[in-house]
Amino acid sequence: MSDLAILRRVLRLFTPYRGWMLLGALLSTLTVLASVGLMAIAGYFIAAMAIAGLAGVLMNYFLPAAGIRLFAILRTGGRYAERVVTHEATFRLLARLRVWLFDRLVPLAPARLAHERGADLVARLSADVETLQHAYLRLYAPALTALACTAVVVALFALRSISAALALLALLLIAGLAVPLAVRRASAAPGAAIVQTSAQLRVAIVDSLQGMSDLAVYGATERRILAAQRLGDELAAKQRQADTLGLVAEGTLTLCAGLALWSTALLAIVAAQQGALGRVEIPMLALAALAAFEAVAPLPLAMQRAGEVVAAARRIFALADLPPVIPEGPAASPVPRDASVVMRNVRLRYEGASEDALAGLDLTVASGQRVAIVGSSGAGKSSISRLLLRFWDYDGEIRLGRHDLRAYRPEDVRALLGVLTQYTHLLNATLRENLLLAAPGATEDALLDALDVTQLRAFVAAQPQGLDTPVGEGGVRLSVGQARRLAIARVVLRDAPIVVLDEPAEGLDAHTAHALLAALMSRLAGRTVLVITHDLAQVRDLVDAVVTMERGRATRYLPP
Amino acid sequence: MTPPPPPEESAAARRRLGQWLRDRQKHGAAALRRAGVLGALAGALVVPQAWFLAHGIAPAVVGTASFRDVIAWLLPIPALLLLRFALTLAADRAALAGTLDVKRGVRDELVRRLHALGPAYVQAKSSGELAATVVDGVEALQPYYLRYVPHMTALAVVPLVIAACVLPRDWISGVVLLVTAPVIPVFMLLIGQGTERLNQQQWRKLAQLSGRLLDALQRLTTIKLFNAARREAAVLARAADDYRRTTMAVLRMAFLSSLALEFFATVGIALVAVLIGFRLLDAELTFEVGLFALLLAPEFYAPLRRMGADYHARMEALAAAEHIVEVLEAPVPATGHARPVLPQRIGIECDDIAFAYDDDRPVLRGVTLALAPGTTTALVGPSGAGKSTLLSLLLGQRRPQGGRVRVGGHDLATLDPAYWLAQVAVVPQRPYLFAGTVLDNIRLGAPDAPPEDVEAAAAAAAAHEFIVALPQGYATPVGEHGHTLSGGQAQRLALARAFLKDAPVVLMDEATAGLDRESEARIGEALARLARGRTVLVIAHRLRTVQLADRVAVMEDGRIVEEGAPASLAAASTRYAALLRAAEEGPR
Repeated sequence: MSDLAILRRVLRLFTPYRGWMLLGALLSTLTVLASVGLMAIAGYFIAAMAIAGLAGVLMNYFLPAAGIRLFAILRTGGRYAERVVTHEATFRLLARLRVWLFDRLVPLAPARLAHERGADLVARLSADVETLQHAYLRLYAPALTALACTAVVVALFALRSISAALALLALLLIAGLAVPLAVRRASAAPGAAIVQTSAQLRVAIVDSLQGMSDLAVYGATERRILAAQRLGDELAAKQRQADTLGLVAEGTLTLCAGLALWSTALLAIVAAQQGALGRVEIPMLALAALAAFEAVAPLPLAMQRAGEVVAAARRIFALADLPPVIPEGPAASPVPRDASVVMRNVRLRYEGASEDALAGLDLTVASGQRVAIVGSSGAGKSSISRLLLRFWDYDGEIRLGRHDLRAYRPEDVRALLGVLTQYTHLLNATLRENLLLAAPGATEDALLDALDVTQLRAFVAAQPQGLDTPVGEGGVRLSVGQARRLAIARVVLRDAPIVVLDEPAEGLDAHTAHALLAALMSRLAGRTVLVITHDLAQVRDLVDAVVTMERGRATRYLPP
Repeated sequence: MTPPPPPEESAAARRRLGQWLRDRQKHGAAALRRAGVLGALAGALVVPQAWFLAHGIAPAVVGTASFRDVIAWLLPIPALLLLRFALTLAADRAALAGTLDVKRGVRDELVRRLHALGPAYVQAKSSGELAATVVDGVEALQPYYLRYVPHMTALAVVPLVIAACVLPRDWISGVVLLVTAPVIPVFMLLIGQGTERLNQQQWRKLAQLSGRLLDALQRLTTIKLFNAARREAAVLARAADDYRRTTMAVLRMAFLSSLALEFFATVGIALVAVLIGFRLLDAELTFEVGLFALLLAPEFYAPLRRMGADYHARMEALAAAEHIVEVLEAPVPATGHARPVLPQRIGIECDDIAFAYDDDRPVLRGVTLALAPGTTTALVGPSGAGKSTLLSLLLGQRRPQGGRVRVGGHDLATLDPAYWLAQVAVVPQRPYLFAGTVLDNIRLGAPDAPPEDVEAAAAAAAAHEFIVALPQGYATPVGEHGHTLSGGQAQRLALARAFLKDAPVVLMDEATAGLDRESEARIGEALARLARGRTVLVIAHRLRTVQLADRVAVMEDGRIVEEGAPASLAAASTRYAALLRAAEEGPR
């Protein structure tokens, strides 16, 4: 996509706030025109007064004096209103962009995002989205204002002197368009590099913060600091390039404004001596020409940002445009007839993998049955829950509740499932918020009951803040075992007819694991339960059947 | 997580931050000074420019000057404009160079401070927020040094030069300028002070907004798993919307200061024009002097108006500085500096050590434990007993609040931390895998290690086989938290790191899941190989690992409750026997 196409697409995203955006540009145009008017009328006023004074005649000074007052008020009030409106529009856009991108990412998780690094993702979301807010405040609004003001001022000039109008137009175009465009072309590469390098820098910093302990132990801290410093220097070099170009453009603007003042004076004097222009109009035009440059003053900066905006938008769109692996699904889901799960000749290969993760899996779990799935790591056990959750697509047939899995809307399938994933992911929030994630409407009693099952209740009761104790980033304030038990409590709260537990005993010592699993399984009586484990001993007494998996297939089936 | 510190509201605190910003000019002092001087010179050039222009225009309006006379006055102007352009550019380039140096210096200060503060500090914060401070916070300083600082110099010089030139020729205009000018900063200050505090709160909220987003994205799969995406999107929308509302409330106030600025500047220009006009009518003033004054009036207010924009740059820099200073002034735990010669085989003794994260939540309540040189000790106990905390104390990442850790006969608190860590290899339960390849991750401690050595270490750690089966072998990139690798695989990479490091002390937190029986066995063998001749403490979750140890310590509720050789303990101890039974239940 070309840069212009990207900018147009960004504008389309902003469509809901078109009214705010146009109003802001209009107010900004009014303010600049009031500025030009003020200087023009002041120039006319003093020239007329001087001529009248020398001639010793009276003149009606009420009208120009009132004009000065009017423009002064317009300029002051307009500036304030313009700033409020343009910022209001900007923050609305910011909010919309964040939510829009989050919504676009949800269908991509986790299949499309498996290789995206979390820090890089957030660098895109927050930094790129914040860069995009310049698109209106510093790009679209100033461009529109400059265009409108230039048209009005040059047209008014043309009424008095064509040559002065042409000179002014030429200088406005050089300062507002030609030089900034040249600068923009020259700074496109460093601009894109700045966005990319600062994202890299952020990943490097997050990496060295989160892995600080490993770095210290392996004596790699200084090397990481120097690497971050190198990235910082790289960033600075690009910034120096881009910012210097921007400064040249800003300097050119002052130069052109001065030249406009000078050339207008010169041309107006010539015209006056030829009798084509009143002498009284010379200072008026000269001062108006100078003031007109306020309209194009933001353009150098705007064009400079354009490179960053386009680069950021390009990255955001590239991510947002990834097709989800799972099609939208039908409009309505069938009602499951029971809680059975049947897989026939199911195949799955992850992107970039050289082997099938599931290579023709056959599996039948009757409604209410509890099945342990055992096998070595890499046998494909965890892929089962990913397919049931509709996170990845597959070949073959899966039936759930005696309907084709694909006949359900993915959201409705997930509502039928209570899944404990192999890795524990806790929100950086309180214990309560982490539990409520699974069941937003759960009562206090239900929460405590779920904690009972997972034997966390005593721990929670011992916390001064109880359920409102924060768990820290990624749950660091909990031990691994406590985090795991909290995750299991979420599954209990979920109250789903089909439950998949992937390595439920991870992080638990044998003693705790045994007691917890027994309590959990008795709690889940009547549900369909799949327990994925590498350690059959933990669950042998608690299940009805055992399926052994090897290389993506079920190789052994042991009925009770 | 600790609650956020109360906003620094006092004027003294703000002054302190302002002083900090000024102090940081030291990183680019010479360049910033040059920028100020050159900028002021360029600004002062408007005076001769206006003088020539007024004398060129005046005769054409009120006199009968020939075109040649006019040209004589107007001709030098382009040369003046070019000179001003060159001076401005030189000033701006100097300011940019100085600013980049300041940012580099501050970022370096921050990164080094964070590493000195250590994992205990970082874990209590959110690494997303801290990274935002290092990257965005430092970036937010740029406008302050690039614009505000040099413009302040110009502000101090240019209006005074203009007033000094106008006053002798047209004292009334001079007085109007001089009277309105000081009113502007006073008003801006009055309005600005109130908004500054609010602005700082906004910055903090923005950081939280980013932190919340990072969290939501990192847990996107979990959010989706619970069908909570719509709820989370609503939460994000509400947070962004709240942010908009509160920020706009601040900005509506902040823009009042620019309203005041615009008002007085406009009134000043209008007043100058009107007063000049009436005196011209009464022939009390010559036209060229009147025009000269009117031409200079907007230039007089220009630096003030520019400061209006810069003033917000300063507020943003102050708000960013608050976060930066918070990190820079966080107390670094005192560390020892001793680098005594340590024996080939190092013994470790814990002497009645106590530790609590918060005062009311003791984790270790008097742990006494001796690890004899060259032996392997298994630490077992229920989850939450304090095992991992003990490990971080042995690393020196946290200080015991009571008791002492002695290594090789020396108090750990007196040793240079880097020196001690050089003796230790750690295999954490959740090893952190850095952005990079498998190879980079294994040679974390020895970036120049030849591939043969890396492969030997990986083979010893039972990792070589699965690595070569990866799509790109040793060159396979690993994702954040090593998600593309299983827990067992990640731990084997960490074991390979340990083999490569070849340190006399090994601390390991055994992985509990993601291990099938075969890789469990292979990790056991690898650990046995690693343990040979080293002092090892392993937090054990498996019978096999416990049996491999020379001694077993049972930990419960922050204390070592039993200790002994595995066999004798099994015979004599009820607690240990119960743990064993639980582990052994069902044939393995």
